[in-house]
Formats: sequence, C-alpha cells, structure tokens
Amino acid sequence: MSAMLLNKEKWPDFVGRLTGKKLWAPQAGGDGMRFAPVAEGEVPALDYGNTRVPPKQAVFPQTETLFRFQVDGEKVEEPKLEEEAVLLGVRPCDARAMVIVDKLFSWDEDDPYYLKRRELVTLVGLACTEPGLNCFCTSVGGGPASTEGLDLVMIDLGENYLLEAITEKGQALLAETEDLLEEAKDDVAEQKEKIINESEQKIKRSVNTEDIPGGLPGLWEDPLWQRVSASCLGCGTCTFLCPTCHCFDIQDETEGFDSRRCRSWDSCMFAEYTLHTSGHNPRPSRRERTRNRINHKYNYYVDKFDVIACVGCGRCINLCPVNIDIVDILKQVEEAL
Amino acid sequence: MKTNENPYIPYNATVEDTWFETGGERAIKTFKVVFDDEEVRKNWSHRPGQCAMIGVLGIGESMISISCSPTEGDFLRFSVMRMGKVTQALHQLETGDKMTVRGPYGNSFPLEEWEGKQILTIGGGIGQAPMRPIVEYVKANYDNYAGLTMIYGARTSGDLCFKNEFEDMAKDKELSCHLTIDIEEEQWDHNVGFVPQVLLDLNPSPENTIAITCGPPIMIRFVLENLKKLGFEDDQIYTTLENRMKCGIGKCGRCNAGGMYVCKDGPVFDYATLKAIPEAFA
Amino acid sequence: MDLEKLRETAAEVAAREDVKYLIGWKKGTYGYRVAPGFIEDADGAAELIFSPLCTANLATYLTLVEKLPLPRGEEPDDRKTALMVKGCDSRAVAQLLVEKGIDRENVVVIGCPCPGMVDPELLAEKYPETEEPAEVKWTDDGFIVIRDGEETSVSRDELLAEKCRLCRYPNPVISDIMLGEPVETWEPAEDEGVNEVENKDVDEREAYWEEQFSNCVRCYSCRNVCPLCYCQDCILDRLNPTWVNRSVNFSENTAFNIARAFHLAGRCIECGECERVCPANIPLGKLNRKLAREVRDKYGFEPGLDPEAEPFQASYKPDDPEDFIL
Repeated sequence: MSAMLLNKEKWPDFVGRLTGKKLWAPQAGGDGMRFAPVAEGEVPALDYGNTRVPPKQAVFPQTETLFRFQVDGEKVEEPKLEEEAVLLGVRPCDARAMVIVDKLFSWDEDDPYYLKRRELVTLVGLACTEPGLNCFCTSVGGGPASTEGLDLVMIDLGENYLLEAITEKGQALLAETEDLLEEAKDDVAEQKEKIINESEQKIKRSVNTEDIPGGLPGLWEDPLWQRVSASCLGCGTCTFLCPTCHCFDIQDETEGFDSRRCRSWDSCMFAEYTLHTSGHNPRPSRRERTRNRINHKYNYYVDKFDVIACVGCGRCINLCPVNIDIVDILKQVEEAL
Repeated sequence: MKTNENPYIPYNATVEDTWFETGGERAIKTFKVVFDDEEVRKNWSHRPGQCAMIGVLGIGESMISISCSPTEGDFLRFSVMRMGKVTQALHQLETGDKMTVRGPYGNSFPLEEWEGKQILTIGGGIGQAPMRPIVEYVKANYDNYAGLTMIYGARTSGDLCFKNEFEDMAKDKELSCHLTIDIEEEQWDHNVGFVPQVLLDLNPSPENTIAITCGPPIMIRFVLENLKKLGFEDDQIYTTLENRMKCGIGKCGRCNAGGMYVCKDGPVFDYATLKAIPEAFA
Repeated sequence: MDLEKLRETAAEVAAREDVKYLIGWKKGTYGYRVAPGFIEDADGAAELIFSPLCTANLATYLTLVEKLPLPRGEEPDDRKTALMVKGCDSRAVAQLLVEKGIDRENVVVIGCPCPGMVDPELLAEKYPETEEPAEVKWTDDGFIVIRDGEETSVSRDELLAEKCRLCRYPNPVISDIMLGEPVETWEPAEDEGVNEVENKDVDEREAYWEEQFSNCVRCYSCRNVCPLCYCQDCILDRLNPTWVNRSVNFSENTAFNIARAFHLAGRCIECGECERVCPANIPLGKLNRKLAREVRDKYGFEPGLDPEAEPFQASYKPDDPEDFIL
C-alpha cells in the first residue's frame, strides 16, 4: 500500500481524520503569508503557489523559548515539546530544505529543540504542478516532485490526489485513512510521470551550479560582489524567508515575572549581526554580507555538509525590494569563473 | 565528561573570589568561579585555549576565554573586560554571587604535541587571557618542554593584567618573562615599546619553537610580520580568533569566519590555516 | 518622457568629475522588475529607464550608502551623488535637507515629473508576470502593458498605485536638472484607507492592527527602505538597554511599528515604499498617512516641501493645538 488515490471530494474527510495532532496548512488566499494551524472543522485549500514564510517555522519557530528561569538560577524550566504535528501541503523544496538544515542542527552536537520538533512532525507534501516564476529547484538538486524529506507526497491528478507514502510515518497516515482511499491503477504511474515532466518543463529559471562551490573561493575579491550588493538595503527579507537560513540570536527577556531565554531568527544581512562591542565589524558593509550569504549557501555549506544550502524556492527573488536576484548573482559568479 | 543533556542549559556557579585587573571605563575584572554541583565540578575538564559561555540569568551570556590551566585546580578563571550589556552585568558580581557557565567550547592549544619544544607566548592587553593557561600549563610541566618565554605588554602598567603574578614569575628561573608598556613611566623597570618591537629585539630563535600570540588586531598583524622576519614558519605560529557567538555549538551561525565556525573549529588556529580563511583578518 | 533625453542628461551628469555616481532606475532581471542602477560613467547611462514601474524611492541611498564603512585601504569618495527623483522622492530629499541629514552640495537632483506609477501587485495580478522582460508605458490617459510581445491598453484607474491616487506633488519640489515639462497635477483621491481605519471603533481597530502586526517578521525592510529612517544608531538595534525585544510577537512587533510611525510623524513624505516592500503586506501606508493627516489637519504642516523649513517636531507656535495632551 504505497500508492493510493484520494478523490478530491473526500479531502475534507481526509483532513478531518487527522485529529489529535496539530494540523498546519498554508493560510488561505493566493500565496498566503505562512503555514498556520488549521482550526477545528476548517478544510485547508491547496490551490496555492507557496507561502511567503517557509514552513521551517513549524520546526524552527521565529521565536522560541529555550527555557524559563528565576534569576537565582534555582528553577530552570525547559519547554515540553510533545505535541505531534502534521504539515499539509508542504512544497518539495521546503521539505528538502529541512533535510538540509537537519545536517546543521545535528552535526557535532544535537540541537534538542529543533530535532525534537522534527521528530514530532509529519510532512505531507504536495508536488508542484504550477511552479512559480522564480522557481529554480531543478538547478540545485531538487525538482517539482522531489520526495526528499517528505513522509507522504500528494500529486494532483485532476479528479484525485495520488498519495504515495515515503516513510513509515507516511505509511501510518495512509493506514489511518485507508477507508477513504482507493488502490491506484497501473496507468497512474504513466499519468504521474507525464505531470511531473510537464511541471519540470514549466520551470523557466535555471543556472548551472556545478562549478560554483569550487569556484567561489577564487572570487573572493571579485568586483561582482560590489556590483550585486550596491542596491542592497540590508534588510532581512531574503534570509528570514529562506527555508534553509537557520541563524539565530539568543536573548534573555523578562516580562513581569516571566523570565526566559529565547532564540529568534537572525540575519547575516544585518550590520549588527557581526558587530563586536568594540565597534569593530568583520563584515563592515553590504558587500561582505552579500558575499557571505552566497558563500554560506554555495560554498561553506557544501564543504561542511556536502549539499548546497539553497533549494531554489525563489522566495528571496520574489520578495527582494530591490530586485537582488540570486539566479542572476549565480550567473555572474559562473561568468566570472 | 557529564554534560547537561540540553547544551543550552548552563550550569550554576559561584564566584569564589574576584578582583580588578585594570581600572577605567573598560576595566578588566577577574572571577575565580566554582560550580555549585559537585558532580559537575568533578566531571568538568577543559584545555588551555578553550572558552566558556558565562552569563547572568536575565541578562544573557558572553563567550569568554578560560584564563586558567586545568593544572591549577578545580576552579575556573575568567578575565572580563567591561564592554556591553553582559560584561557590565558580570562586573556587578562580587564574591559569593552566582553566574552561569556552559562549555567548555572550541578546540585548544595542542600542548601535548608541543612537548619537547620551546614555548613563546606573545600577549597584548586582555589578549593575555588565553596566553595565561599556556604559561601555567607549561610551568606545571617544565620537564616536558624545552623552555618558556613570555612577552606581555599593554599601553600602560595599569593596563597590564595579572600583575599580582609578576613577582613570582620574576623568581621563576625557568621562565623568561618580558613585560613591556607603550610609554615610559616612573618606577617601571621593564621594557618600554610596542610588543612586536620587543619581540624583534628579543630575537628568539625559531628552531624547535612554537609562538602563540593574542592581542589587539593591529598588534597581532605586526607580531605575525615580525615572527616571519625572525624565520618562523606558518605552522610554528598560533593565534586565537574572536567573533560574536551565541550558541557555542556550531548552530547559530554568528561566528563563522569563511567556512569555519570559530566556536568549533577555533578559537585556536595555526597561521597556515588562518591564512586560508579569507575573513579571518577582516 | 523622452528616454533619449534622459539618458543623454544622465550620461553628462555621470561623466562629471565631481559626481561619484548617478542613481537611477534600470530594467530588472525579469518580468516587470525595475532595479536601482548605480551609474558610474557615461556609458552606463544607456541602461537607465523611467517608466510607470519606477516605484522605488532612490533617495534612501543618500543616507544608506553613507552608513557603509569603507573596505580597508580605500579612501572615502567625497564626490557628489546624482539622484533621479519623482515628485514624492524629491520631497524625501527636501526633508533630508530640512533635517540636515545631507548637504545640498553633495547631491545633484535630477527631477522626473511623474504621471503616476502602477501598483506592481495589482499589475501582476491582472497581467501575470513573465520570465521575459516586460514593460509598462504611459499613454495620454493610462498605460500600455507590453508583455510576451503583446500590447494591452489599460486605463489609468485600473492600475494606478494608491500612493499616486493620493499624490499632491507629482512634480519634483526641488531639482538641479528637470527632465521634461511638469505634468499636470490631478485631484488627489480621498484617502479611503485611512478613513476606513478611522471609522473603526477602538476594539475593531485593535483587532485590525493585531492581525496586521502579528504577521510582521521584523525583517526591517520598511525601516531600511525608508529615506527618512536613517538614524545611525536605531533603537531597534539597541541591546543596552533593549528598547524592543528580539522576540517576534504581537507585543514587540507593535512596539516596533508604532515607534517607527511616531518617529516619522511630520517627516513621512508618503512615498509608500514601506508598504511596497513589506513581505507581510502590512498596510504601513495607512499608519503613516494617518499621522501625516493629523499633522496636516491640526498644524497645517506638510513635510518635504521646502528645504528651508523648520522641522515639524522641532518647531513650536503659540497657537499649536494641544488637545491631544491628556
């Protein structure tokens, strides 16, 4: 039982069956802002491109309490992470991003918060049949129907969704909803392949990334960095909305009697990020920060974890206020090699 | 070593003794600290060069170099310059007060590897903090090393750390100690001049020697230059890097210099490695 | 506007010895996108455009660029910055002069009379963006959208950006060089957006802003794009003391957004950039225009019109209304 059909009319029943777990789905209305918890009785629609904020927020919340404490240090209380969650309609790029970020949060020493949330989450993916304008997943090792990181993948066949379990978690979900599903017929494989092929054809943007990781170190002082960062505003849009960006700040915060140490997303594009208290800043301008962003994704991460830390979701391109376009930057890198 | 299961949860520790090393707006205060939990105290082990996240609950944490050698006893020492929010709060702490500690973090000076060699430390200002554990470690193991030379300087005599130890050092026949200040002062009977110049004047032989340096970036730059002039090879020279850090365990992304995480791959680097990191001298 | 004339003028300015570079608009990397262009020599001027897609207010770079520390070994380049401005953008320059945020002799202002910009989101919604470069041009009574080799005439009402509907100053208020003839001004529309918020009762208003601010991701693009948010040391970045916590939640997000709005009262020139760049689609324009309306209605003051004016928050008249003081 690995490939099943779910008639779209039964989608509300399918969703209704997933009770007892926290359900997340893209907010309604076009390309919604983010994945949000689904209210009881609500049926999420899956007619969206992708959310602006990636679903990483379900496993790596923008702000997360590491522990609460009394200032005398006697009572340190860790949050209990035990609620299972199901994310519905995760795009393949965003699931791949989690697999990529897993490497960081589990190398050397484990990050207990992230890894616990990852363990508790089931990712139900939705293959892309209408890729966005700036999608370039196929240039960085992904694809519109990549299943990497997903527990279950759904493919829109028109009348039905084709459901394929990828992991045991996915199998379990299929087992729970068995009575709503039909066994897929033999011709479905062909139909699926056709849809995926068509979808791949619809991806317009691409860049050859093969030589980029090896080539970046040699371009450290290249004038291209000044060129591509001249108009950068130094805001956090590209990093905060990136599914693989994972940097964070840790701060103690007190409100009334509630004292906690929490971490919040941080951005290497902020000047303050690397600023020493002495006033010295090892990355003094947006040129260095932009260079670091690209190198981190396409050079350092590849060195350390053997994978490009970019999934080609296109969010940073879509939402950059000044049209700084990572595909364009990568092309300039390629040309400079 | 026993660690907290959650690496973000610090251990509680108590300030056993504290004193000012220097005064002024950016004063340096040293804390001698012991863990509250006996189990933690027993299991803790660190090596010269490593750092720890120390802090005050409700304020935050800072990554600070551990300025004592494990050979000194079951305690930790930190010398902290008053700079920002956390270090200001740390400076408020007196004997008996609590602080939090987690770590130890980072790599360390390969002191076992250096056995049989001459050790030369070159420190400036607060940069002596990571040099001190090397000096103390070698002092405790003189038999294993060919010799120990320490160059340490600051702007004025008042800006030198660990002054209370100089007298004993002077009596130590096996230690060749060279103190210096930038500007002439009354009743100062050591060197006068910048650290890199004192190094050049001392003219140590690079043969079978390891040089370790830490201090202000400008000092490090000229020390490196002069060590090269003296004939030191890149792999005979070590220094430590500092970057902003938040987690200490290679997650938060703050401290990267090129592809290196200073909190994991550093803070100790040999010059050959350092030269290959494009951001290291930024 | 005559594009040839624009490029010719820009080439002359960019070639000037005393000009560091000229900042204008150029075609972006795809679709309708327009990007800021930093033109360092006469040849570069051939890239420049001026079209209904040139929404960006480039005045922000006057202070943003100055915030950059120089790479080691580089001498500061103290030459002038030349800047292309629309009506609203020119008000930002004037306001910066009022506040002495910039020196008049350090800028060369090239004025572009502006018939009104299209709303980029509305445009993409009605005429989906393509990978191939697309264009929008002005006609006598509207726009032509050119994409995929197809030209579509669209009425002005259909695509005009909200900030342009409300605009009272389409012609640059200051300039050293003016490109073309001034455009005929139009009757500004009633600000329905602000009316709508004003007409809500307190609870409704709170609920409305709670929903909006809860979406804020604190990327600070609104702050960074704002030509008048140029404090060297912003309270949002301050840690010692911490004025606004790093935690992203409704309370802290509100503190941030309200603080910014208040700091802009009597200074905001209504270029609408904050709202345009917000990835969370927070209607920041309504917030800032509400304060601008208060300042206009109560004090008869409009910022960014006269570089010689007194700054609003630093001036006092004995008959200033003070009924807002509790």
